[in-house]
Amino acid sequence: MDAILQTEDLCVEYRTRGLKAEFKPALQELNLSVHAGEVFGFLGPNGAGKTTTINVLLGFIPPTRGTAYLFGIDVRQPIARQRIGYLPEMTYYYKFLTVEELLRFYAKIFKLPSADAERRIDYLLKLVELEPARKRLIKTYSKGMQQRVGIAQALINNPDLLVLDEPTSGLDPLGRMKVREIIQRLKNDGKTVFFSSHELGEVETVCDRVAIINQGELKTLGRVDELVARHGANLEKVFLDIVGYQSQPAL
Amino acid sequence: MNTVWALTGIVIKELYRRKDFYVLFVLTALITLAAGSVEFFKDPNIVRYVKDLCMLLIWVSALLITIATAARQIPAERESRTIFPLLAKPVTRGQVILGKFFGCWLASGTALAVFYLFFAVITGSREQHWPVLDYLQAYLLQWIMLGIVTAMTLLGSIVFAAPSSTVTILFIVVAGILFLGRHLNTVALHNPEPLRGIIYTVYFIIPHVELFDVRERVVNDWGLVNWLDCGLAALYAAAYTALFLLLTWLAFRRKSLN
Amino acid sequence: MKRTSPGWWLALLLAVCFTLATMFVPRAAWWNEVPRAADWNKGRSESDNVFKLLLGEGRRLFGNEMFVMADAYFHSGYYPSIFDRQESDQDVATPAYGKADDEDSTGDDFLGPPPDWIAALNRRFVPNKHTHLDSGGPTGHMNTVEVQEILPWLKLATDMNPQFIKAYRVGDYWLRRLHKPAEARDFLFEGLHNNPGNVELLFDLGWLYQKDFHDTDRARNVWMAALRCWETQDANAKSNTEAQLAYEETLMNLAILERNRENWPQTIKYLEMVKQISPKPEAIQQQIDEARQKMAAPPAAASP
Repeated sequence: MDAILQTEDLCVEYRTRGLKAEFKPALQELNLSVHAGEVFGFLGPNGAGKTTTINVLLGFIPPTRGTAYLFGIDVRQPIARQRIGYLPEMTYYYKFLTVEELLRFYAKIFKLPSADAERRIDYLLKLVELEPARKRLIKTYSKGMQQRVGIAQALINNPDLLVLDEPTSGLDPLGRMKVREIIQRLKNDGKTVFFSSHELGEVETVCDRVAIINQGELKTLGRVDELVARHGANLEKVFLDIVGYQSQPAL
Repeated sequence: MNTVWALTGIVIKELYRRKDFYVLFVLTALITLAAGSVEFFKDPNIVRYVKDLCMLLIWVSALLITIATAARQIPAERESRTIFPLLAKPVTRGQVILGKFFGCWLASGTALAVFYLFFAVITGSREQHWPVLDYLQAYLLQWIMLGIVTAMTLLGSIVFAAPSSTVTILFIVVAGILFLGRHLNTVALHNPEPLRGIIYTVYFIIPHVELFDVRERVVNDWGLVNWLDCGLAALYAAAYTALFLLLTWLAFRRKSLN
Repeated sequence: MKRTSPGWWLALLLAVCFTLATMFVPRAAWWNEVPRAADWNKGRSESDNVFKLLLGEGRRLFGNEMFVMADAYFHSGYYPSIFDRQESDQDVATPAYGKADDEDSTGDDFLGPPPDWIAALNRRFVPNKHTHLDSGGPTGHMNTVEVQEILPWLKLATDMNPQFIKAYRVGDYWLRRLHKPAEARDFLFEGLHNNPGNVELLFDLGWLYQKDFHDTDRARNVWMAALRCWETQDANAKSNTEAQLAYEETLMNLAILERNRENWPQTIKYLEMVKQISPKPEAIQQQIDEARQKMAAPPAAASP
């Protein structure tokens, strides 16, 4: 099966500030591949390198060494992002626009024909339940509403690959349920989802395969059920074992 | 180019949803009307000082709008992190620069057109005379000049830390060129080497935005500038604009988005 | 506790604004008032000058710049900057802030040939020809009435620097050329209000009365007042070249007035005074001799 997301010996190093500048590795020889139609979870503690990996895949930062491909195209080419949708962790959208204007703007970037774009916008606003607020400026939205704006803009081009960075971060249980439903619907539609999360419960529920990364190194990669069976514990225990967590003795 | 025009539209929308333009327009209008309401020696036909004052206010306001708008484009995108979902689309950094440039330039051109319309109405109502071509030429020349200023400011916004620094520095630079640019060669002649060489170098390097300042011709009814000369000036402006945009792209390419 | 309605606050604000306006309008009205003759010698509180309040003594610099603006307008914007003045070149149009005895040159191009292509291109976008507003302006077709455009700057120059005598005199000259004698008179009154007893302004006022109002008696009275003021001035004021010229012209014009009335003793008296200060005393002596001859000649025989 061809991988639609692939990294080969991907390395990213940051130069530290100061008189004696040193190179700090953020990613070390990461080898990943995500196949079409699967939901892939990318896990790791804070500072493990998850966001750095996503930043490289989206072309925000160049890799120090190694390569990354989306649909077989080097990620440094803008065309590699034609068939992907991205939902950032924090909601970053133009506050002076309405959600309708924002989606129309992104539709133009993807060169969607006007009629198709309008139909798509109507569909997405219904999907994320923002139809009543379509004429209001985004700056008047609540956090949950802004997160739904994010989901809508990530789906505007009907992407084949969806990259989600902590999609349920800051959401209430109802919001998290809606996000899980959308991911499940995308999976049923044959889309590929790549997302990073700290919510191991929902990862265990929706993901086909997971990768666990710690301190820039890939620690494990495999199907969720296989990992759980191998370690004889739930995914949370597996995660803690892999990252080397040791519980503190009682005082 | 669709992407560039889409970005252009966003910038224009932002300008007319912010209050800056309206405040400056109202201020310009109020000051001009106040100046025009004064009667000197019981003569209602005196008009040039009103034209002079209005054109000065138009130049100041247009520069403020242009520099303030362009200075915050890229930094605001980075600060509010809207640059991430934007660059996650099939958009290059060069397209972002171009889109921001055209957006700022067209927005400032629209604002300038409104100012000039007001100017024509006020002076025409007093003079009973509408040299439309003269005003149009003055508008076009100033708008072309604002292209250079926009490109310079975009470059400044990448180089300097904060939008406020960019606005201050660029305003001082542009004002300095407007006041002193055409005199630097004379100043150089009155100085010994090596200062003469330095001043001459500065004289030939800086974009001479004062070329496009035809206020004195408009106020004193000198008539049209030769359109061929205007064309040469436009080419000169295009060259500098392209240079500044290229430098902006080169700087932005290497810039971290955080 | 009930919150006060915004309407009451608005009403209170309007009342305060109205009160302040009624207090300040009478104070502001003096700005356009014509000072009466009786007020000439009264000192005016300097705090009434709003520019002095705002700018202090620096207003005088602005006043000079306003006069330069008037000169620039007169030349339709074609005006040398401080960078363009070539000190070694005498035949150059010097700006109004040049030396007092510099005159507007006949030289057309203070700029000289353009030193580089940027300067050459620059000159096509700015006024580039020496023109005067009263002789057609840049297109050669303007009426003399266009000179009125310099008047606001002259007014501002005197508002900023009430002791700027030259601005009053230039304003008076152009107002007369524009057939506005009443405005010229009011402008001179204002100058005299701010500079009581100034001989130059008194001379101009007398000239205005004679030439524009055809009121010889009033002209004589004003010129005689000028002579009295001259006598009270100190040596420093008398050493001013413009004042000396005005004094001489006052005497000369008084002599002419008396000659026209055939009042030969008074004519000779004034001419004697002129002769003491004139650069051409022999020409004045000739006029004195002529007056003496006419005084000695028998009166014309009465017609039958």
